[in-house]
Amino acid sequence: MEQLTNLVISDRELAIISTVLNKLMNDTNATSVMLIDKSGQVIATQGTGVRRNATSLGALLAGAFSSSRHIAELLGEKDFRTIFQQGVHENIYTTMVEEQWLLVIVFDKLTHIGLVKVLSKKASDEMGRILERVRADTSRTKSSVINVQFRSSVEDTIDLLFRD
Amino acid sequence: MALINIASHEIHCKIVYYGIGYCGKTTNLQYVFRSINPSARGEMLSIATETERTLFFDFLPLDLGTVHGFRTRFHLYTVPGQILYERTRFAVLNGADGIVFVADSQAEKFEENVQSISELEMNMRRIGKELGNFPFIIQWNKRDVPSALPVSVLERYLNRRRVPSFEAIAFEGKGVFATLRAISKNVMAQL
Repeated sequence: MEQLTNLVISDRELAIISTVLNKLMNDTNATSVMLIDKSGQVIATQGTGVRRNATSLGALLAGAFSSSRHIAELLGEKDFRTIFQQGVHENIYTTMVEEQWLLVIVFDKLTHIGLVKVLSKKASDEMGRILERVRADTSRTKSSVINVQFRSSVEDTIDLLFRD
Repeated sequence: MALINIASHEIHCKIVYYGIGYCGKTTNLQYVFRSINPSARGEMLSIATETERTLFFDFLPLDLGTVHGFRTRFHLYTVPGQILYERTRFAVLNGADGIVFVADSQAEKFEENVQSISELEMNMRRIGKELGNFPFIIQWNKRDVPSALPVSVLERYLNRRRVPSFEAIAFEGKGVFATLRAISKNVMAQL
């Protein structure tokens, strides 16, 4: 399976993603919800609980998910599409969106896992449709951002920042 | 896979340091962490064993600040080098935009380097990418060690594609930023 080279998310799609995440958070009474790419990059977050550590959480959750898929392979299982991490106070439920994104729901003991499972399935289907549009739009929107001026400025910044 | 978020004006790229156990991948990241302007870096995460060997990965987020209105970020990862963690290395490669192969210059590590680079080629093919047309550079690390092979020998056997390569003594910081500059520019050029 070939991996994408890049993915461009427009204002419009991000607004829709945020609405879906917000609805999921409210309906499940979760403390936070996140959408991350399977490479570990955070696309959007809702809720206050994870914001400060979002970057680290993205990397770790994507790593844990990727590792669990390899565990599935070793067991002869096609794949594990969800992971549930249970703590004393906080729990995390992670589910895959179309082999590309991960939908993460952080919730406490006031929320039942059954509700999270059902509602995250619905949200994940919706995210799948958004992803399809994002994929189709990527090359068109990319050229508006990545132009000659951008490339030259970024090279200057790299020289300035990554120096001995 | 680079992520360009137009709404939040952010660009994220993932760079993976690959290579055999004890070749200096983590040392590269640690040096960057220590030396770079603190405002340009986030917290460094290491998932290591009790003996400080990398178990899963090291992770260091770098923030280039705002470039043409876009906040540009590089996320640096290392893979665990030990042979038995092959599947973990594959997992970390997921979504990479650029790869640095850190080669241990010591003569006694030559064969392991050869195996590791061919494993990397195979893993890239498994995710549908060819190293030949992917942002990829090599670092010849541990140039200070007495048993270090001449660079010409390393180039001949380990750099068949003639990708850019850099000599380094990572624990002293020599060559660390030159490597990082090269791979970052390479990644941006192919964005």
